[in-house]
This record gives sequence, structure tokens and C-alpha cells, in this order.
Amino acid sequence: MVQTHRCEDHETVGENKEKRPKFFINDHVDILIEILKRLDGRSLCVAASVCRLWCTIARNDSLWENLCFRHVSPPPSSVRSVVLALGGYKRLYTGCVRPVRSRLGRMRKASWARDEVQLSLSLFCVDYYERLGGSNSNGRVVEKSSPSSLMFLCKPVNV
Amino acid sequence: MLRYDSTSSSAGSSSGSLSSSSSSSKPPQQDIDGLLAGAGYKVRSSELRQVAQRLERLETAMGNSPADFSQLASDAILYNPSDLACWVDSLLTEFAEPPPTCSSDFIVDPVNNQTVVNSAWTAAEPHTPQVHQNITYDEQQSLDNQLTVVTAMEEDSGIRLVHMLMTCAECVQSGDLSLATSLIDDMQGLLTHVNTVCGIGKVAGHFIDALSRRIFQGMGGGSVNGGSAFENEILYHHFYEACPYLKFAHFTANQAILEAFDGHDCVHVVDFNLMHGLQWPALIQALALRPGGPPLLRLTGIGPPSPDGRDSLREIGLRLAELARSVNVRFAFRGVAASRLEDVKPWMLQVNPKEAVAVNSIMQLHRLLGSEQTRNSPIDTVLSWIRGLNPKIMTVVEQEANHNQPGFLDRFTEALYYYSTMFDSLEACRVQPEKALAEIYIQREIGNVVSCEGSARVERHEPLAKWRRRLSGAGFRALHLGSNAFKQASMLLTLFSAEGYSVEENEGCLRLGWHSSPLIAASAWQAVPAWDNHMSSS
Repeated sequence: MVQTHRCEDHETVGENKEKRPKFFINDHVDILIEILKRLDGRSLCVAASVCRLWCTIARNDSLWENLCFRHVSPPPSSVRSVVLALGGYKRLYTGCVRPVRSRLGRMRKASWARDEVQLSLSLFCVDYYERLGGSNSNGRVVEKSSPSSLMFLCKPVNV
Repeated sequence: MLRYDSTSSSAGSSSGSLSSSSSSSKPPQQDIDGLLAGAGYKVRSSELRQVAQRLERLETAMGNSPADFSQLASDAILYNPSDLACWVDSLLTEFAEPPPTCSSDFIVDPVNNQTVVNSAWTAAEPHTPQVHQNITYDEQQSLDNQLTVVTAMEEDSGIRLVHMLMTCAECVQSGDLSLATSLIDDMQGLLTHVNTVCGIGKVAGHFIDALSRRIFQGMGGGSVNGGSAFENEILYHHFYEACPYLKFAHFTANQAILEAFDGHDCVHVVDFNLMHGLQWPALIQALALRPGGPPLLRLTGIGPPSPDGRDSLREIGLRLAELARSVNVRFAFRGVAASRLEDVKPWMLQVNPKEAVAVNSIMQLHRLLGSEQTRNSPIDTVLSWIRGLNPKIMTVVEQEANHNQPGFLDRFTEALYYYSTMFDSLEACRVQPEKALAEIYIQREIGNVVSCEGSARVERHEPLAKWRRRLSGAGFRALHLGSNAFKQASMLLTLFSAEGYSVEENEGCLRLGWHSSPLIAASAWQAVPAWDNHMSSS
């Protein structure tokens, strides 16, 4: 484990050990969560590769929920159950909210923030529906295994 | 009627002697290029390429010596710009351009070639889609010269193709099938000179096919309508993915339906063409999240019967039901299998009088229009039973085109313009194989519009103004689509990877277009209560 390895490192360093307070962020998960909550999507993904603890925390859907609704007033609680049913906030963010926000970034108006999320939700729902179709093909030819309705969001914008 | 000879042989030989065009004998009137004449320029068709090349040189010269240019502007010697060939030559002498030799005719600055040729033609030819010359820039310098010859010829051939298509359509209308047949052969020969991967070549290819089908196979359409329901669904799905038209239709209709269902606990949506049911997940999700909780949603999907025992309508219904269950929306589905919309009777829909009904028609109503304007034509029957259902809202999305005119030539011209614009917009799509299959979908529409007649021709598109008259006459009044729908549509279009789509609002209806040519129009309607309405004869 990375944590114990670090402890050993400090121990072998020697002289300054007594003067330096031992503070490992991994001991204070609540603070860690508060910090991770404020990251943007890309940093959060990077954080997930630091160590197992961070990975587990970063996978927590509530962090991604925070990301999705960061610039909007908190949504009603019914949204959460819908989003979780359709695949979770991380998927919503990486698949829809982030591409939608970056695409609209050029002509963004402040009042659009809520509509962006709503549009993302609708696209997310269509995506879920298409994924449903892939697994329940029942002998029908499956054209695509990956959800296709969001493919247009993945391609670079051609100005 | 004109026959255009291929003048590629004459270009090399008339090597840029400046006096050649001005001292030549009076050109026969018929040789003047018709389209440019419409814009006020007299250019002989045989000289099109030379004039283009000289315009390029003129632009280079102007760029290289701006001082001369300003002197030219202040010199008030006016040349007659409508005789484009002479005008360009005169300006070139002002810049003391040496007369080009035969070989240098083809060595044009590749950097400037694009913009000059494109702007020269697009200024004069507003209806011709720009040929996308996306191959030349990446080629090596040694190949560039060769390619600029090709592009110049392509533009020339592209314009000629359009001319010949119009001429051929005129022949077909007047019944001169022998001339039409020879024109088809010429056009197919010309197609080999043109890039058929994109631009005018591709669209022209489809129209040539449709015309030849009309001439040789008669107006039953042959295999155009022969696609199975399964094939059609696949093509439709790829058309949905490749371009935003269907997404725009679905999202706009859903927004209107959502607003109409506000406050109702029992709602019933009738979909005239279920396909894969791609419109409904978003509505189910929006209903799940509406303040006050979701209503009981019933969906009745109409679609063609599926062969070999498979019940595709039921499969789609099951999928939608699973989605609705995941988001806790009470949902009930019913499928109505009918090969034609006019075969559907209102009792099949089992509408409950207490529920709020929404009727959704995405590009289906035009199929009901026949060529004869009789009483009790299918459209009137269907509209009257819709009215009988007393729907809270009827969402109608139709192609914004006039493809139901009795005259073949008018219809052909409209279709050529409309589908060129649509193919143009499709160029922006980078997702394969969606793009290729979407093109086949559009190709089938073209085939139906051009090569079918009578009951075989189902793609009878009419513009929004006509639909407004028709629906008002049938006892409906328009509902405004509202700013939410407009905002959503604008956002949706911004997401698509091309900055050419535009949404405009027109008396409460939304129209989506490519570079301000409207292609698809969405509107919402409500039945006028019977005691308030006096039926006007349509």
C-alpha cells in the first residue's frame, strides 16, 4: 500500500521527523472529500489514479453530482433517483454534461446553465435507452454496441 | 433546348491571346450561359473555364500590386462588366499581365485558386452548393498543379451538370424521352469528371439515377419503395444519428407536449410513426422530473406490420416500459400495426375521454396527400378523426419544401435545391457509417419525389404556409411553440459539429435550416372546439 510505504520513507529520512507534524491527508477522509468536491472533471479523473483510497472516493457518485450541478441551483431530489437509474452522475458528466458545456462554451449565456443540464439529461436518457436496445436485441441485428446517440458529442467541433 | 458540347479540347488551344475573346465573331445567342445571364453577366459557356482562370490571375495581380489597383479605381474608365470575358481581359492589361502561354494556363497559384474559383461561382450561382475542395490542400506541391486543373474542370462540369439536369427534366415533362435519354448518357459521362464523393457531383448522381428510373422503369418507382420496414428503420436510425433534423423534431415536439400536459394526471400520446421510439425516452424523463410528479403515461405507437412473426412494435414498447420503470413513471404501451396511416381508425387507439391526448406526427402527414384534391381524401379523413379525439396538442413536423406541385419541372427544381442543401449540411457529419446510411435514406426520398407518380409517390412535401392553411381549414388553430422550445433547439444545434444550422421562429413555429435555407418546420396545433368553429371549405 502506498500509505505504509510513505510512512517508512519518513521514518528513514530521520532528523526532521520529530519537528514535522504527521499529517496524511488519507487519514482525514472527510477533508479529502471536501477538497475533491471542488475539483473539475479532468482533475477528478486524475485524482482517481493516485491511490486506491482516492480511487474509491473519486468513484463516489456524489462528487460527480456536485460537478454536474455546480453552477446551478440545487435540483429537486427526484433528479437523483432518475440519474442513478439511468447510469449515474459520473456517466452523466463525462458523457453529456462536459461535452455539452464545452461545446456551448463559446456562446454561453449565464441563464443557459440550467438548460444545459436539462438538455444533457435528455440526451443521457436517450443514450440509456439505446444501451437498453443493445442488450435486449433478441435476435435482431445489433448495429452498434456502443451508444451512438452521443457520438456527435465526441467529435471535435469543426469551426 | 441546349446541348452542351464538351469544350475541354478548345481550352488548351486558345492560348490566352488577349485579343481572342474580344475580336471573335459575335457569339450565337444560345451559347450564353443561362445561369450567369440571370445574374447579369454575359459569358459564353465555352469560355467559362478561361474566364475563371483569368479572374484568378486578376485576383493575384490585384493582391500583388495594390498600388496599381487603387490607381485603376481612381481612373474612371469604365469597362462593361456584364461582358465578363472582355472586362477581365481589359483589367488584366491594366496590370500589364503578360499573356499566358498554353502551359501556364494550368499553373495557377494553388493557395488562391480555392477562394477565387469558389467566390466567383458562388457569387453568381447562389443555388449551387459549394464544391468542397478538401483534397487539394493536403497534396504535395508537385501534385497541386494537376489538381487545380481538376478543380477548375470540376466547377465547370458541376455547373454543366445542373444545366443538363434541368434540361432533362424539361424533356421529361414535355415527353421528349429520346432527348432525355441522350442527356442522361451525357450526364453520366460528365459525372466521371466530377468528384462524386461530395458536393454537387454526389447530389447530381442521385438525381440522374432517379431521372433514369423514371424514364426507363415508368412511374411505379421500381425498387425505390421496396425497402422492407426493417431496412427503413435502420436507415431512419442512421439519419437520426447523422444530422440534427430528427433530433430537433423530437426535442421540439416533446417540449410542446410537456407544456401541454402540465397539470394532467392521465396523459396519452399517439405517435404516428414509432420506428425505434427514440423520441420518447426524453419525454418520459422530463415527465419523471416534472414538479408534482409524473402522470400515468400511455403511448400508442403506430407502425408498419413486421413480417416473419416478429412484433417490432411490441419490442419497442417493452424497451420504453423498462425505461419508464427505471425512472418510476407509470407507463402503458399499445402498438397499432398499419401499413398506411389512413388505415388506422380512431377506435384502435382506445382513447379514454378523461385523459389528455397528444398526437405526434413527424413527417407523416404529407404521405396522406393525394394528387387529386377530392373531398374525403385521406388527409381530410385523418384530420377529422384527429379532431374528434380532441387532442390537447398535435405536434406536426414536416419538411419545408414544395415537392407536391403538379408540374414535374417545378417539383424537380425544388427538389434539386432542397436536397443539395441537405447534402451540404450532411458534409459536416464525420460519423461513419451513419453518414453513408443517412445518405441512402435521403436518396430514397429523392427517388420517390422524382421517379414516382400517383399512389406510389408518398413524399409529397408541402411548405409550412400550405400546412397552416390546410390545418386551419380542418378546424385547428396554431399554438405558439414558446421560448423554451426555441432555446432548446438553439442549444441542440450548437452541439452539432458544424456552424451552419440555424433556427428561426416564424409565427410560433420553428424552422430549422442550413445557412438560412429552411429544411424542416415544426408546429403545434389544437382542435378548435366544435361550437366555436365554422368549417370553411378547403
